[in-house]
Amino acid sequence: MTPQLVIPYTSADWTPLAPAFVVGAGALVVLLADLILPRNVRRASAISLGTLVLVVAGIVAAREWGHPYAAFAGAFVNGGFAIVFEEIVVLGAIFSLLMAYALGRDDQVGGAIALMLWSATGAMLMAGASNLLMIFLGLELLSLALYCLCGLGPRGSARESALKYLVLSSTATGFLLYGMALLFGATGSVSLAALAGPVWSVPLFDLGCGMFLIGLCFKLSLVPFHVWTPDVYEGAPLPVTAFMSVVTKAGTLAVVARFAYAALPAPAAHQILVPLWIVAALSMIVGNVAALAQTDLKRLLAYSGIAQLGYIVAALAGTTTFGLRYAIFYLGAYTFMNLGAFGVIALLSRDRDEGSHLRSYAGLAYRQPVLAWMMTFFLLALAGLPPTAGFVGKILILASTVDAGFVWLGVLLIVGTAISAYAYLKIVRTMFARTTGAPIQRPFKPASALPWFGVAFCAIATFVLGLYPIAPSDVLPLVK
Amino acid sequence: MIAALVIVPIVAGLLLYALPRSAEAAAKWAGVVISFAAFLAALASYGAPDESVRWLQRPFTASFHVGLGLGPSYWLVLLLTLSTGCALMVTRLPRARDFVAQMLLLLGAMTGVFVARDLLLFALFWDLMLIPVFLVLVAWSPTKTSGTAWKYLIYNLCGGLALLLSTAAYGVVQGTTDVIGASPASLANISPVWSLWIFAGFAFAFLIKTPVWPLHTWMPDTYADLPAPMAAVVSAVQSKAGLYGFIVIGAPLFYASMRSVAPLMIALGLIGLLYGAFAALVQDDMKRVVAYSSLSHLGLIVLGIFSFNPVALGGAVVYIIAHGLFSVGLFLAIGEVETREDTRLLSRLGGLGARNPRLAGGLTIVALAALGLPGLCGFAGEILILTGVYAAGYVWQTIVALVPIVLAAAYMLRLFQGAMQGPEVADLPQREDLSPVAMAALVPLAAAIVLLGVNPGPVAASSARVVAKAPHWIACPAVGGVRAYVQGTSASSDLNAVDALACREATAAGGAK
Repeated sequence: MTPQLVIPYTSADWTPLAPAFVVGAGALVVLLADLILPRNVRRASAISLGTLVLVVAGIVAAREWGHPYAAFAGAFVNGGFAIVFEEIVVLGAIFSLLMAYALGRDDQVGGAIALMLWSATGAMLMAGASNLLMIFLGLELLSLALYCLCGLGPRGSARESALKYLVLSSTATGFLLYGMALLFGATGSVSLAALAGPVWSVPLFDLGCGMFLIGLCFKLSLVPFHVWTPDVYEGAPLPVTAFMSVVTKAGTLAVVARFAYAALPAPAAHQILVPLWIVAALSMIVGNVAALAQTDLKRLLAYSGIAQLGYIVAALAGTTTFGLRYAIFYLGAYTFMNLGAFGVIALLSRDRDEGSHLRSYAGLAYRQPVLAWMMTFFLLALAGLPPTAGFVGKILILASTVDAGFVWLGVLLIVGTAISAYAYLKIVRTMFARTTGAPIQRPFKPASALPWFGVAFCAIATFVLGLYPIAPSDVLPLVK
Repeated sequence: MIAALVIVPIVAGLLLYALPRSAEAAAKWAGVVISFAAFLAALASYGAPDESVRWLQRPFTASFHVGLGLGPSYWLVLLLTLSTGCALMVTRLPRARDFVAQMLLLLGAMTGVFVARDLLLFALFWDLMLIPVFLVLVAWSPTKTSGTAWKYLIYNLCGGLALLLSTAAYGVVQGTTDVIGASPASLANISPVWSLWIFAGFAFAFLIKTPVWPLHTWMPDTYADLPAPMAAVVSAVQSKAGLYGFIVIGAPLFYASMRSVAPLMIALGLIGLLYGAFAALVQDDMKRVVAYSSLSHLGLIVLGIFSFNPVALGGAVVYIIAHGLFSVGLFLAIGEVETREDTRLLSRLGGLGARNPRLAGGLTIVALAALGLPGLCGFAGEILILTGVYAAGYVWQTIVALVPIVLAAAYMLRLFQGAMQGPEVADLPQREDLSPVAMAALVPLAAAIVLLGVNPGPVAASSARVVAKAPHWIACPAVGGVRAYVQGTSASSDLNAVDALACREATAAGGAK
């Protein structure tokens, strides 16, 4: 009897991966179009094709809602959780793409957007990954594209940024991979679902978890694994920075949440995860303190991102169901307010001159009142002040920490917020203060409607999410 | 309708930016019209039903719940809209369009604080009302640095965030934050440990906002650096948000904790009362005189609230409104002096009264109200508070509290004499007396000062619903003469409710003996 070839999956297994495939294949279309279209329409075609691809992927993902399915023997679990993260990745990628309208060289835009799409594909794979190999696959796809993206742009700092990101991120990946190997050694399986089974009292398991989480904390840029973030953010082109600040975080956060909630055996989880909450607390304080002294908005938003991710991870403390929902809500709110702030910077930028220095904002309220008010609104949201989604998100996280018995995290969150208010409102102060001496007269480039649309959409979403804080109720199942 | 009182000024404030920058007069009069329209709308909303839309389902229920029915809310909203309208009428600032927009944003946010019936909504507006003041301090600061703005913001934001944490904790413990003005029966008791910590967060925010010594150091700088119209509104109304919080949130929800800290609060109130009065005596800047006098007057109100006596509480509410009325008047008059003479230092000013009889007359009325002349609003509040505090058994505290009332006469007369009387100072510019518009702004304030002075009954009685909602409020029988004073001028049934409650509890206490 001849051995029969058994295909270990059915055609239905491909459906959950469809959104990621759409984005990955769409990147090829963008590249092809860049090749054959005349030079003067390349930028417009790349941006519109990229946006179109992402919108389609978003719709395809949304249609999967309510059909949980574990594809490829549980390597990719589709369900509410994965779809919410996929949608956040799609939104983050769309608003980052729109910023490319005003920045970068014409002949680079097509390639950059294709790379961004591939990176987003990686993040979308991470959103549903529930086995260690899938996680690694997604993470590498995400990171490899970003190494190239960081190096785009004519400045020396771009090359510094790319190299720094490559070296440090590879180190982190090393940690992650080593942790995975140890976990496999301890449990004999690469599936997250298998980890959750018996209580693993082997030291190998604890060590594996630790190294795995260290690798992820690097990607989330939580303190003390955050040192690369400001330099990389500052050197990378603005759309790439915006992309990294949301899409990378969303993908990695999906893995962290799935690991914390579903992969750890319940009694052990509380002890194993304590360092993670401490890391979150450190991020809230250190990120905000470091943001105080920044005069470059990209650096400031880098430190702010460190603190914001600290808030989100703090919401997971105690691994309560509500905590997960509020973490997802805050991540969504953060997507809009952060990309809105980056969008305003993009609108103030000219080619080769990103409007990210604090000086560019002096007296903005008297030159561009609408932009100044939008920026104020996004900064208030990041600071957690009303009337924004940031305010409601912070209340929800506070409630979740108090509810889970982590009152100290709630108190530190308040302390961090108080510190951050100065960092954010410093920019507001610069925009509204009477200008002393001659302000930098930056000829305002009336960008096309698209980036404006992005910023306006972010502002409306930030406001409306504050009024109707919809936290997805159906984010399970995570692994099975 | 009540929600419109909040939303319309905020939307209008933002829409003002659509006007061309040069349309200063149009912006100013648009602001005046909106403020007085809000005043009339609020006046007509007496007894209007609450409006509520669900906001959060989990982790605790919260609503966009607004209402004017609860005690001092109605009067505070009237005070707020009236003072904003009057302040906008006399606004003469560079970049007036932007300034009016900020005033309207402030109006909407502060109305929100006073009509919110949900703790989370209250916290939202509490933080929101910082922003316009911060932006005005930054953009219209007389100095190049923004030190005052940061001082104001950091102090008040720390309070606001403590309030936020307490709100979240209250919501998690109780399952809902929709509790301001709820009936006592629907309020579950919190365990004493939680209650004290949660109350501490609220109290911290309220003490900073009021401000109460020793958390007051942001106040004199802020009042001195704010343009007069906004200083008037902030001093008259925003500083009352803390006291309002003690009355409608502290007393009904955290009764036991409030009582347990009462000795401390009374001590802080007394210190503020004395310190503010003495500091006001020696200030050279007219705005700082008024700022420190505010510290003193607000200390008296703290005394009235924490003596847990219905009469003192009624007096506290009357004095909250009264202080609002005369401090708007004082700041607007000082603003007029400043635009006229380019200085507000008492050592530089003098003899203005001879050429500016209308300004001198206006300042006289508000200064007399501030120093507690019987028949004007200041007296009505003071006498009720002092009687109530005495009746609550705080004898020597009442005697100490009398000292600053004498001092008030000294510093208010010093303010008036320093600016208006004496020989004219030759090197000051001589400008026209108050314009008819400025007179028109002072008239409603003066009318309200007199009206509240002779008929404090309805305002005092508005505390009755709060007392009725504090289930264990320990009442002491009101002293006869004061009751006659209040009752003789008011036929309000609410007041009889206070009285009935006082009598009932007194009887119960007597019966227990």
